[in-house]
Amino acid sequence: MSPRLRLALLGAALAGLLPGAVAVIRRLPEFGATIAAYGERINAIVPAERHVANMVSAINFDLRGLDTLGEEFMLLAAITGTVVLLRGRRGENTTDRAMRLPGRAILPRSEAVVLACRLAGPLLMMFGLYVVLHATVTPGGGFQGGVILASGTLLAYVGEGYAGWRDVIRSHWLDAMEGGGALLFALCGLAPMLTGAAFMQNVLPFGTFRDLFSGGLMLIENAGVALAVCGGFTQLFLEFLEETREAAGPEEPGEESA
Amino acid sequence: MTNALLSALPTAILVPLPVAVPLVVCAILLATAHLLPGRLPDILATLTALTVGILCALIASRAGDGAVTYWFGGWEPRDGVALGIGFSVDAASGWIGAFIGLLYALAFVFAWGFFGRTHGHFHILMLLFLAAMIGFCFTRDLFNLFVWFEVMSVAAFALTAYHLEESALAGALNFTVINSLAGFLMLGGIGLLYARAETLDFAGIAAAVANAGRDPVVAGGFCLVAAALMIKAAAVPFQFWLADAHAVAPSPVSVIFSGAMVSLGVFGLAKLTAVVFAGSAQVQDALPTLLTGLGALSAVLGGWMALLQRHLKRLLAFSTISHAGIMLTGIGALSAGGTGGALVYVVGHGMVKGGLFMIAGILLATRASIDEIALRGLGRGIGPAGAAMAVAGLLLAGLPVGLLDQGSRLLHGALEGTHPYAFVANLTGAALTGAAVLRATGRIFLGLGEDPGDEAGAPSEEEREKADRPLWLMLGPCCILLLLDVIVPPAWVEALAPDAINAFAHGTLTGGMEEGPLWAAWCPVGAAIALAAYALFRHKLPRAIVRPVRATQSLPARGLEALHSGLIGDYVAWLAVGLALIAGALALA
Repeated sequence: MSPRLRLALLGAALAGLLPGAVAVIRRLPEFGATIAAYGERINAIVPAERHVANMVSAINFDLRGLDTLGEEFMLLAAITGTVVLLRGRRGENTTDRAMRLPGRAILPRSEAVVLACRLAGPLLMMFGLYVVLHATVTPGGGFQGGVILASGTLLAYVGEGYAGWRDVIRSHWLDAMEGGGALLFALCGLAPMLTGAAFMQNVLPFGTFRDLFSGGLMLIENAGVALAVCGGFTQLFLEFLEETREAAGPEEPGEESA
Repeated sequence: MTNALLSALPTAILVPLPVAVPLVVCAILLATAHLLPGRLPDILATLTALTVGILCALIASRAGDGAVTYWFGGWEPRDGVALGIGFSVDAASGWIGAFIGLLYALAFVFAWGFFGRTHGHFHILMLLFLAAMIGFCFTRDLFNLFVWFEVMSVAAFALTAYHLEESALAGALNFTVINSLAGFLMLGGIGLLYARAETLDFAGIAAAVANAGRDPVVAGGFCLVAAALMIKAAAVPFQFWLADAHAVAPSPVSVIFSGAMVSLGVFGLAKLTAVVFAGSAQVQDALPTLLTGLGALSAVLGGWMALLQRHLKRLLAFSTISHAGIMLTGIGALSAGGTGGALVYVVGHGMVKGGLFMIAGILLATRASIDEIALRGLGRGIGPAGAAMAVAGLLLAGLPVGLLDQGSRLLHGALEGTHPYAFVANLTGAALTGAAVLRATGRIFLGLGEDPGDEAGAPSEEEREKADRPLWLMLGPCCILLLLDVIVPPAWVEALAPDAINAFAHGTLTGGMEEGPLWAAWCPVGAAIALAAYALFRHKLPRAIVRPVRATQSLPARGLEALHSGLIGDYVAWLAVGLALIAGALALA
C-alpha cells in the first residue's frame, strides 16, 4: 500500500469507530464516581484480616497474588529474552574497551563525581532496602525497592568506571538472584499447600497493624520479588552497557550497526 | 498401585500445580543455569512438560460433567462476590491443557540439544510459555487471563527472534507490535467491563452483562477483548503478523505457535462468548455473522495464500490461518456441536500441524533449505519423513480418520444447515491447505513437477538449522503426534463431548452434536489430491487447460501477495479496519 492509501484506510476505520467510542464514553461512570464495589470490599477486609496498611501490597501479594506471580515471571521472560537476543549477536565474551567516537575528547572522571557517587551509592541502597522492607506499611514494595537497589549499582559504574563495575557485578550471581527470587515467590505459593491450605494462602502470623512486621507471608513474597527485580534489572543494565563495548574481534561487524 | 496413589490425591491439590510446576522448574533452571551439565535442561524441560500434561489429564478426568473450582490464597467468594482469583477447570479445558503439555514434551524431544549454547535460556522461555498457556486455559478471572496472555506474548517475542537474522528480527518485530497492540486492546476492554461489572470474576461479569441490557460499555468491552483474542487467533484482517512470525521462528517454536498458541486465541474467544457474554443479546446477535463471516474469509484466504507459497514454513503458517478460521466458524454457529467441533479441532489440528512443522524442521536440519522449489527431489534420502508429510497432508485435507476429522465433521454438522457459506468455506480451506502440503510433498520427496532451472535458487534468505540430531530423534515426536491424532478412539470423544461442552459453556449452548455427512469429508481430500496433481503435472497438460487457469488466478493472487507486504503500518491499518468491522457488527445487531 502507498502511504496515502494506508492513511486513508486507517482514517476510514477510525472514523467508523468514532461513533462507537463516543457512545461508550458517554455511558461510562462519571469521573470521580464512587469506587467500585470490589475495591470497597477489599478496603474493608484487608486491615482487619491481614493487619496491612498498604492496600496495594495486600492486593498484589495476597488477594491477587497469582497475578503478581504471573507478572514476576513475565519480567523474568522479558529479561531472559533480552539476554538471549543480545548475547546471541554479541557472544558471551566481555571486553573493557568502550566504543569511541573518533575526534571526541576523553575527559578523565572528575573527583567530584567519584565523591558524589561514593556518598550517594550507600544512601540510595539504604533507601531501596527501606522501600522493600516497608512494603506492607507505606507505599512501595519489592518491585519499586528492587529497581532502586538495581539503580544503586549503576552508581558504582558512574563513580568507579566500567572495569570497577564489572568487577563487582557478576552475571551468574545476577542469574542466581533473579531465579532465586522468583523461586522464593513461587515456593511461597506451594509451601502453604503442605499444611493443607490453598496455594499462596497466608498461613503465617499477621503481626501488628502499621508495623514493619505485618502481613505474614507477604513479607517473604515481597523479599523474593525484591531479589528477582534487583537481579533482573542489574542484568539488563549489564547487557545494555556491554553493548557499548567494542567487539572482541574484528569478525563481528554487527556491533557498530547495532 | 499407581492408580491407588493417584486416587488418593485430592483434586484440590492438583489444580494450581500445572502452572506452578513449570514456573518453579524455570526459576531453578535460571538460578543454576551455568552449573548444569549440557543435556540436563533438555531432560528437565521434557519431564516437566510431561508432568504438566499428566496433571491436566488427571484434573480433566476428575472434572467429569462439572468443573473443578479452586480459589487462590484461600479467598473463597463471600456473599456471592469473588474476592481473589479462581481457576475453574472443566473437562474440555483440562484435556486441552493435557494436549498442550504433551505437545511441549514432544517439541522438547524434537529440539534435543538444538539450543545447547544458550545455557537453558531457551528452556526457561518455553517453560514460561507453557505455564502461561495452562493458566490461560484454566483461569476464571478476566485480569488473570490478561496476565497469562501477556506472559505468552513476551516469551513468544524472544523465541521468534532467536535466529537473529534480518528476516527473524523483522518477523519478531511485526509480531511484537501487533500483539502488544492486542494487549492494549484487551486491557482497555477489561477496563470497560470492570467499569460496568465492578468485578473481574467471569461469573460476576456474566451476571452484570446479563443485567446491563443493550449497553454500549459492555459492547465496547466485548469489541476490544474479542479483537485482542482474534489477533492471537489470526482471523482476517488481523492475520498478517502470523505468517511473518511463524515462518522465521525456530522449528520447535513454530510447532508450539501453530499447534497451540493460535488455537488458544480461538479457545479464549469460545470461553468468553459462551460464559461471560451469554447474557448479552446484542453480542449473541452479532456473533454468528461476525465469526462465521471472518472465519470463512480466513479459511479461504489462508488456504489460497498457502497454495501460493514456496517457503515451506510460510506455507504452513498460512494453512494455520485457514484452519484457525475454520475453528472460528464453529464458534460462530453458537451451538454445542459448533463449539465442541472447534475444541476437538483445536487438538486434532495441533497434532497434525505440529507434526508438519517438525518435518519442516527436519528438512532445515538435514537438507539445509526450506524452499520447496530448491528442495525438489532432495527428500529422497529421508523417505519416512516424506511418508509422514503425505499422511499429514491428507489428514489436513480431511481424510475421514482421527481426531482432526472428528472435529471437522462436528463442525460440518453444526454449519451445514444454518451457515451454508461457512460450510463451503470450511471444505475449501481444508482442500486448499491439503493441496499445498501434498504438492510440496510430491515435489520434495518424489521429485515431481517441472524442472525449475534458474528458479531453483530460493528468493528468501539462506536458512538452515543445526543438524546435530539423528533423523529418528526428530521424526519420532512427529510420528507420535500423527499417530495420536489417528488412534484417539472416536467413541471416547463422542461420549465425553456433550457433558464437557455443557460444563465448558456453563449450559449456555444448546443443540445436539451431529456429525456431518461422509461425502463432506471425502470431497476436500479428492479436491486436494486433484489440485496438488494439477500443480505438479501442469507442464504436461495441454496449454488450452493451463492458460485460462493461469490468466484468471494470477491477478488476484498477485493482489493478495501485495496485501501481505510485511510493512507494520499496513498491518496496523488493517487492525483498525478489523476493529471497525467488529464494532459495526455490534452496532447493527
